[in-house]
Amino acid sequence: MDNGIALKARNISKTFHISEDSHNTVKHRLFNLFSPSRRKSVPAIKLMNFEINKGECVGLIGRNGCGKSTLIRLLAGVYPTDTGFVEINGTTLIMNLGVGMSQELTARENIYVSSSVLGLKIKETDAIFDKIVDFAEIREFVDTKVKFFSSGMMARLGFSIAVNAGAGIMFLDEIFAVGDMKFQEKAIKVFESSWIEGKTVILVSHSMDVIRKYCTRTAYMKKGELVFFGETQQAVDMYIQDNQ
Amino acid sequence: MILGNLLKDWTVRTNKLERLWLLAKIEFKLRYYENKLGLFWALLKPLLDMCIYYVAFKVILKTDVPSFASYLFIGLVMWNFFLESTNGTIALLNTKKYLYEYSNMNKLEIYISTLFANSIGFLFNLTMFILFFNFFEAGSGGFSVYNLWIIVLFINLFILALGISLILSNIYIVAKDINQIWMVFTSFLFFLSPIFYKLSTFKDALPGFDFGNPLAGIIINARRVMMNDAAPDFKLLGFDFGYALVILFAGLLLLNKLGAKAAEKL
Repeated sequence: MDNGIALKARNISKTFHISEDSHNTVKHRLFNLFSPSRRKSVPAIKLMNFEINKGECVGLIGRNGCGKSTLIRLLAGVYPTDTGFVEINGTTLIMNLGVGMSQELTARENIYVSSSVLGLKIKETDAIFDKIVDFAEIREFVDTKVKFFSSGMMARLGFSIAVNAGAGIMFLDEIFAVGDMKFQEKAIKVFESSWIEGKTVILVSHSMDVIRKYCTRTAYMKKGELVFFGETQQAVDMYIQDNQ
Repeated sequence: MILGNLLKDWTVRTNKLERLWLLAKIEFKLRYYENKLGLFWALLKPLLDMCIYYVAFKVILKTDVPSFASYLFIGLVMWNFFLESTNGTIALLNTKKYLYEYSNMNKLEIYISTLFANSIGFLFNLTMFILFFNFFEAGSGGFSVYNLWIIVLFINLFILALGISLILSNIYIVAKDINQIWMVFTSFLFFLSPIFYKLSTFKDALPGFDFGNPLAGIIINARRVMMNDAAPDFKLLGFDFGYALVILFAGLLLLNKLGAKAAEKL
């Protein structure tokens, strides 16, 4: 793959088959071998092609249910595509309220596990450990299992791991719309700093101000279709027009 | 060359090996340190199992297997690793979902690290067996260079358990009750493996089954190298490696086909 490209999507599509029967046991499957299950097909992502360059901040906009979250899961390699392929050049991380954390582990263990999943060596995590803990403001609870954390503490820790450990390609799914005011301020502050520079970021947001401010290019989706991918202002105009 | 590159990729270029170790360590800690008995239970369990079967087969049924306690012990050590690595990992993709639902982490690493955690337990148990056999067993011939073959046999067992673990946990995505089915199957397999039977009785009753049941071959060979001062039966070893590799291949295919959908189905 071209070194300047972080993500390449070729002819990708995704359809969800939602079954109205719950054939998720061997018994059900055997007893209903000859009765076809009542399935509904929901085409979540219709055939699309595009490339995202390294270091680029790309916006992803569209109305609720248009397939934004499914698309980022395909691009992050979390969901498999039905057709085509996605070439991913580096580690990926989807971040909404936080990152994936185990309730059974302490904050310290979760920091090490999550950082390791994101490709950091233990020594590298040692170096940023204090920064993560202080940023999340959980110093006195660092050896407490996260299942005893409040949702705010969880959100802060997840956010702190994501921004400090980071992945090569970050998918930020509505991070400005979750958490309390302090959390949102923190998210914005990080964005105001030089954090975004040099990172490949795919930013999902309903805030057109945020999209205009940070994204060089923007993709506009409608009913699973990639209607437009290019200059941010044009994509935003199309989205606003669609909402009227 | 290829192996060298692979090793370099796993150690220097990326953090894969370190990650496997970190995940294994945490898994091991969660399993043992969270309980009141802690690590002590890992050591106590095979001893208690051994006592139960010893009473049943030696005291009550008067079996004439020499060094029966050690005979049972090594059989149970191998069996318990297999059971923990298969029964204990059926819902793995569900319990470890947090590791892959937000990133493109390779799911195979989750399996390997979990089996590494089980391997630490295996190592404790094997050490207990070696101490027991060499210092407490009257019929022991002492240490032997053939004991080193246990490493090869363990690799065989590891591959077999990994393959079955992959198959079961991926079937779990579409059929949750595979758990109950496998529990019944393993009870059956336990009695079809020469864990407490005399080997000649086992072979007479089930001719050819030492080749038909991959676990039977591993247990038979483990006794040869650890207790009988003999090399493993190479034909049996070849068969068992063959089984393990075929099962692993099937497991990897399933991981690729069904496991890829784990994030959306579970």
